[in-house]
Amino acid sequence: MKRNLPIAAGAALLALSVSACSGASSPAAPAGSAGTADSSQTSPAGFQEQHKGGTLRLQAKSGDGTLDPHINYSNGNWQIFQAMYDGLLAFKKVGGEASYDLVPDLAEAMPQVSPDGRSYTFTLRKGVKFAGGGEVTADDVVASFERIYKVSGPTSGTFYAGIVGAAACVKKPKECTLDKGVVADKAKNTVTINLVEPDSEFPLKLALPHAAVLPKDTPDKDQGTKPIGGTGPYMAVSYDPNKELKLVRNPDFTEWSREAQPQGYPDEIVYSYGLTAEAAVTAVQNGQADWVFDPLPADRLSEIGTKYASQAHVNQLSAFWYLPLNTNLAPFDKPEARQALNWAIDRQAVVKMFGGANVAQPACTLLPPGIPGHADFCDFPQPDLAKAKDLVQQSGTAGQEVAVVVSDDEVSKQIGEYVRSTLEQIGYQAKLKVISTNIHFTYIQNDKNKVQVSVSQWYADYPAASDFLHVLLSCASFRAGSDSSINISGYCDKDIDARMAEAMTLDRTDKNAANAKWGEIDRDLTKASPIIPLFTPKQVDFVSSRVGNYQFHKQFFMLVSQLWVK
Amino acid sequence: MIGYILRRFGAAVLVLFAISVLVFLIFFATPGVDPAARIAGKNADPATLEQVRASFGFDQPLPVQYLMMMKHLFVSHDLTSFVNRGTLVIPQIMDAVPVTLSLVVGAAVIWMVLGVAMGTLAGAMRGTLVDPLVMLLGVFGVSLPVYWLGEVVNLVTQKELHDSVFSWVPPLGYVPLSQSPGQWALHLLLPWLTLALLYAGIYARLLRGELIQALNEDYVRTARAKGLSERRILIRHALRCSLIPIVSLFGLDFGALVGGAALLTEVVFGLPGVGKLTYQALQNLDLPVIMGTVLYAAFFVVLANAVVDVLYARLDPRVRRA
Repeated sequence: MKRNLPIAAGAALLALSVSACSGASSPAAPAGSAGTADSSQTSPAGFQEQHKGGTLRLQAKSGDGTLDPHINYSNGNWQIFQAMYDGLLAFKKVGGEASYDLVPDLAEAMPQVSPDGRSYTFTLRKGVKFAGGGEVTADDVVASFERIYKVSGPTSGTFYAGIVGAAACVKKPKECTLDKGVVADKAKNTVTINLVEPDSEFPLKLALPHAAVLPKDTPDKDQGTKPIGGTGPYMAVSYDPNKELKLVRNPDFTEWSREAQPQGYPDEIVYSYGLTAEAAVTAVQNGQADWVFDPLPADRLSEIGTKYASQAHVNQLSAFWYLPLNTNLAPFDKPEARQALNWAIDRQAVVKMFGGANVAQPACTLLPPGIPGHADFCDFPQPDLAKAKDLVQQSGTAGQEVAVVVSDDEVSKQIGEYVRSTLEQIGYQAKLKVISTNIHFTYIQNDKNKVQVSVSQWYADYPAASDFLHVLLSCASFRAGSDSSINISGYCDKDIDARMAEAMTLDRTDKNAANAKWGEIDRDLTKASPIIPLFTPKQVDFVSSRVGNYQFHKQFFMLVSQLWVK
Repeated sequence: MIGYILRRFGAAVLVLFAISVLVFLIFFATPGVDPAARIAGKNADPATLEQVRASFGFDQPLPVQYLMMMKHLFVSHDLTSFVNRGTLVIPQIMDAVPVTLSLVVGAAVIWMVLGVAMGTLAGAMRGTLVDPLVMLLGVFGVSLPVYWLGEVVNLVTQKELHDSVFSWVPPLGYVPLSQSPGQWALHLLLPWLTLALLYAGIYARLLRGELIQALNEDYVRTARAKGLSERRILIRHALRCSLIPIVSLFGLDFGALVGGAALLTEVVFGLPGVGKLTYQALQNLDLPVIMGTVLYAAFFVVLANAVVDVLYARLDPRVRRA
């Protein structure tokens, strides 16, 4: 997933270390008793009644698109959807490392997988209700899966393309049926999902909002601003992307699994839209708001890191900033030219431009730390300009013109200027092209625009190596002449593609071996340098002084429903 | 007269048409804006992209797409945003209009009162120390960019002195007049003053110049010869004539501001008005909303021009006869 705006940071954020890596500031994460925790138990790790109530006030510059979980593909709304909708499986709703663990949500237990890895059978939990509707049944599950295609969901042709019948559904959404792909057995209260090919990442994909289970009578078109009754502890009562999103408690909710979907603390969650990040930070300082969604303005970071250090939380993200090099255009069609730039870049300098060591760490690999398959190698550790110059001479591209295309936010412009000057140093005639942030991401994807090198970011959709390497660098991810071609480098190596396929197959049987393989692929790709990793950013959350129980979920960020305002 | 009105109306429609075509063409001529790619989402499958393209009609030729958009906007009134799907454009603008009107009308009252008072004072007291002092104040107002002034006002009232002198200042944002007139005025007080300062300065300077010219006219000497009081000459004769250019300027400024030119003030103070809506739509390249707000703005500028012409005639009989 691409996040819209980078954290705008200057060189100011030095004092934030005070609260760095805060993770959970609560008394231990819920211990949970394997998926079937009962809500009456009130151990210290359980729900703390005394903190229940109040209105949580969130702030963002603007709404983040449709409220339809099958369609919305933005970090902002995915975070909120955690408290509104459930799928068959869920990422454990706790802070820290455990948040990448899958737990059964609307399913009673983890699925039974057939020996060939092609079919998953889920037994549904009984008694879970939709807000203002009936109980969740197998029919709702089937209808929800069909709806992913009927509304042409953004990931219908990628994440969920492997379900039997999906290929036809993607091409002709209106007539979509999955009678062989998603099969309900009402008597046994089970749902079986059949895949064309085994897919070891399929359970992860089931835990994303795009696979949320919705009432079967939900219309087959984008519901936009109209709330859909979900199964989570909160439901939307109104949504205006220019004004506010208001969530109240779902009266039909009773906690069925603390790990999968814990009941929330605030009675109401009001997400107000309209203030600039600058004004929103002031509002949090004044206690007029509780949290800011947008990246914090650079000139406020030092103040937040010193005067308000106890209200700031810094956490490592599963993401990286990188330079995509166009491998189909001179000079970067020559591997030596790409390696030259990889040798020349000083990652420490780039980290400083982003805000310093407390908000980012230099990246040697394409897979960020924490993502399975990440291996600790560093083949381009220190900048070596002499070596870079030699490589440029070897490649025979010295003196060629290179344009660095960046978006017009401060950090990207600074990094772009640095890359430009580095290119000049190693023997190119480089210039900087700054374009509007609004079009940058789609502009650089389209090979018609002939972008040689740019600055971009990638955030994990789910914790898997393939979500980085296969998505960003496989032959299939490159689409000529399209604004939607995420393989920005246009890189295509049949051998690497085959090895990635092997790793994905291996992942079904031997996770460790697969991870080792991904690590090797990462290393070879880094050597080939179609993209140059720069750094791994951290998320800085700034909350008001009354907020407690801050927990950072690695997949969906701060757990909104778990915050205390009392 | 009817012919004149019809001609005027025809010209206005032509202007609006030209603007809408221009907005449409500029949008589609910009590289990297493919609305289907944006709607379909990151890394969408080509087949999904085609489905989205077809369902939104982006596979049609541009003139057809233009006509469809105009049909949704003017005939069926159901044009929806590309970005916040399900959000109708017209109600969005209608919701934003009261905010912008509240801001602009309040600011206009303040700047007209201030501007006319300052201009008249400076003009009448010419030759004394009051004149340069008042004008200096005017230049001061003109030279402060509204986005900077707004941020500084926020810095002082929301942050530095929020716990002491300005503890009465409410959080940024808007409260509808119907909900609480007191809160409405309180929330808008600082935005009003911020926006008014610039215009008050411009109007004071303009009025002073006009007034000094008018006071040297023959008819003023005649009035003095007839023995009228200086006060009566100033207010009934000189000021009335001097107000003519002020009124026409006011009409244009007011029209432009209601049309969305108060954008910077709205963004800085978090007021969800038309300017803010336009700004947001430009930020995420939401063509239907951009189209709606631009046409709305153009309409107000054209309307303001027409109203100014009529008012002009009322104030200056010579225009009517011509």
